[in-house]
Amino acid sequence: MSYGIVFDIQEFSVHDGPGIRTTVFMKGCPLACMWCHNPESQSPQPQVIRNPFGERIAGKEYSSQQLAALLNQQSAILKANGGGVTFSGGEPLSQAPFIADVIDAMDNLHIILDTSGYGARKNFILLLERIDLFFYDLKLIDPGLHKHYTGMDNHLILENLQLLNESGKPFVIRVPLVSGVTDSDENLRNIALTVRHMKGLEEINLLSYNHAAGSKYENVGMQFKPDYDENRPLNRNLEIFEREGIKVKCL
Amino acid sequence: MKERIFQLRNRIRSGEQKAYRQAAVIDILPECDAEGLSWPRRNARLVSRLCGEEKIVILPEENIVFTRTVTSVPAVYSSEEWSSLTSGRTLHELGPVSNICADWDLLISQGLLGRRQVAERTLVRMKLDPLAVDFLNSAIETIDAVLKLAKRYEDQARILGRNDIAEVLRSVPAHPAHNFREALQSLRLCQAVVWLEGNYHVGLGRFDQYMWPCLESDLKTGALTIEKAEELLAEFFIALNKDSDLYPGVQQGDNGQSMTLGGIKPDGSSAVNELTRMVLRVSRDLEMIDPKINLRISSQTDLELLALASELTRKGLGFPQYSNDDVVIPALVAHGYSIEDARDYSVAACWEFIIPGKGMEIVNIGAVSFPAAADRAIRKGLTQGNDFDGILRLTSDEVSQQVQALAEAYELILLPPAPYYSIFMDSCLENGRDLSEGLKYNNLGIHGACVANAADALAVVRQFVFDEQIILPQDLLAALQANFIGFENLRRKLAKDGPKVGCNDDRADKLMVSLFNFLADACEAYGKTARGGILRPGTGSAMYYIWLASGHEGMREPVVGATAEGRPQGEPFSANLASSPGVQTRGPISTLQSFAKIDYQRIINGGPITMELSDSVFRDDESIHKVSMLVKTFAQLGCQQLQLNSLSLETLQDAKEHPEKHKNLIVRVWGWSGYFCELAPEFQDQIIARTMFQLNGISA
Repeated sequence: MSYGIVFDIQEFSVHDGPGIRTTVFMKGCPLACMWCHNPESQSPQPQVIRNPFGERIAGKEYSSQQLAALLNQQSAILKANGGGVTFSGGEPLSQAPFIADVIDAMDNLHIILDTSGYGARKNFILLLERIDLFFYDLKLIDPGLHKHYTGMDNHLILENLQLLNESGKPFVIRVPLVSGVTDSDENLRNIALTVRHMKGLEEINLLSYNHAAGSKYENVGMQFKPDYDENRPLNRNLEIFEREGIKVKCL
Repeated sequence: MKERIFQLRNRIRSGEQKAYRQAAVIDILPECDAEGLSWPRRNARLVSRLCGEEKIVILPEENIVFTRTVTSVPAVYSSEEWSSLTSGRTLHELGPVSNICADWDLLISQGLLGRRQVAERTLVRMKLDPLAVDFLNSAIETIDAVLKLAKRYEDQARILGRNDIAEVLRSVPAHPAHNFREALQSLRLCQAVVWLEGNYHVGLGRFDQYMWPCLESDLKTGALTIEKAEELLAEFFIALNKDSDLYPGVQQGDNGQSMTLGGIKPDGSSAVNELTRMVLRVSRDLEMIDPKINLRISSQTDLELLALASELTRKGLGFPQYSNDDVVIPALVAHGYSIEDARDYSVAACWEFIIPGKGMEIVNIGAVSFPAAADRAIRKGLTQGNDFDGILRLTSDEVSQQVQALAEAYELILLPPAPYYSIFMDSCLENGRDLSEGLKYNNLGIHGACVANAADALAVVRQFVFDEQIILPQDLLAALQANFIGFENLRRKLAKDGPKVGCNDDRADKLMVSLFNFLADACEAYGKTARGGILRPGTGSAMYYIWLASGHEGMREPVVGATAEGRPQGEPFSANLASSPGVQTRGPISTLQSFAKIDYQRIINGGPITMELSDSVFRDDESIHKVSMLVKTFAQLGCQQLQLNSLSLETLQDAKEHPEKHKNLIVRVWGWSGYFCELAPEFQDQIIARTMFQLNGISA
């Protein structure tokens, strides 16, 4: 048994994978993407969120048994509706041993890991065999830009992606579109070239920029400081992917 | 849908038809008194005078006619006579019979002349029974009045060169409807006249059943295509919205013009047909508050139909509301309904299950305030030094006292006669008896209101005062007494850390189940009422989630102060089956699992699980499909009734600030939908708070 910090559990999370799913949002992330719309997910510790209507504490500790029991209460419903559980974050890899324990104690549900891919190799391997489908983020292929916009370079992400590909597990690549940052033709082309021959790749999802991204920073005592123009129209260049024979859609 | 239909809708929404309304107030008292009329004859005279006073209005472009121009229903007794007539008696709400459902098939398949013949035959047979004679003559008077009104419409249509309308009116409502258009016209006119008798919450029943034979034959012969039929249906729906501001209700929109679709037929086979789907599509495209749609489903209902219904939910009208046949039908049978009648149930103005043409039930005689019962028991029990079981026993006593008081008040119920409405009920004309004297089913409904708050209050007391002993009884009592002023930390502890209903947490849910069992026990213990029926316990809260918290003039139910779940005095309770306001749940699955624990074989009066989904849930076909899976899950878990809303917080807030920009914004209020901008501010605020909480999970 181990312990983990969860910042939210959302049932009927309709955009987090097939069927009826419950998404567990793990608290704590090694990245600090400039466009992050869940700033309360970054710190690994519980914290107070204040807004004009009141306050609440984001982040609650669960034992793996406790969380598994909670999820098992609805396993029959999730299974009957082609769904399961999605672990998201924050960055779930940061709490990989906990998640592994939770999965081991669960009723054999379909599991998605929604990850940035940024995590220690051993943590990635620990989860790899337990996950049925990956939602794997690729933001920027250029390591320097990646460091500038997320705080970290991307070598771990690209290495883990190789591991994922070699495992044969299915995955969806998700690209958050940020105007002038991730949506350049060059970056999109580099992403396409990186994944085009990967056998586990199911499709690429281009995620539209969340214009409410900055809304929660003040509530957690942080500052939202984009150095890009939020209002510039996004470049949704699907053709770059289609040309490589990759299935792609915008969400 | 054709542009013509949207134009007609917009004209009605903008109130074009209201220009024809008459300012004159009609007084029928002098003639009633001069002729010394009996009560049934007075009500018949009311109908015939108002039908006679109606101006004929045929709006350009419309095909289904009748526009009400008489705006008020005059009294049939002077106020002195009325007081002496009703002295010592209980009147239900406004007095007149309301919130029942006619068997409209009697109209569609027999026509008013067919019904008149039945009355004539009974008149001959019962000529020695003065009450029967009086009733039957009253009913005949109203039939003749409606036929005259129809004739005036027919004549005017000819003058205007609208021979199509004239031909329809030459046939109906006098005769059985021969086709879909006639059936719609017949229903429109005859249902509208029910309101003129002073009756209200006039339901439309199982519309896709009694209307289907005419439509089916039109579709078979090629007289109508589906598109053409949908246009007629849309016109009928628009017509239902013409006069709805004249209908009485607690709030604008609370008018009970609901219809029930789908389910099974009395023989047990599926009742879903093309009209079921047409109604869902037309309602989705029109986006008007009437008619309010109920859909009967079961664990076997196919996802395709549920997806269509979810598209309607997406529009944010607050309907369809779902009722689960798997649960409702056996429960009705267990309470004395025949299996055929139970399978034929319809949903009343809000939630209650009624049998069209066969029920003279008063489905909502009042609410048992669970918060008041739990609060009194908690305060009394803690003061006396009772253990938790003792507090539960006190709660049960409080519940039964409230049931007793409500039911006893209704032993003295006085129902005014309704000779016109009786025409469309099973066996009234056949037996020479007005519906107010009773039909096949004469039960009374009592709702157990605001259960989540009460169960949460009991749960925190058990958890913190008894099990963990971290709050002293005297501290809790002092905090309640002080309305938590000076006890903010304690209040937060109670509000945030206690077990809560809606999270699939047995510690709270089992207390909720107990509360409903206390209610069922009390209703069963009461036995038969003077009207010969039973008490049906339910799960609705209507306006009580506000009234029970802050009081309301004339209400019989007790008001409470601050309550142990950390709620300050005056804050609203939860509506129907929903978590207490301010409780953060994990989402709809746990909520359904919580409310699935109620014993719906005993709690049978309806009252929905009420959930808000963010409008982003309806972004694409795939997620709409998931909403339909959620609805199916509701049925599979054995829950009874479900109401889903789709809301966007930004829209609501903007509508409060700029009502002029959101005149068409529709929201579900308790059992009905209304235009947001027409609601009283406290109801608007409660909806905004509820939505804000559901979407952001933040509260004070």
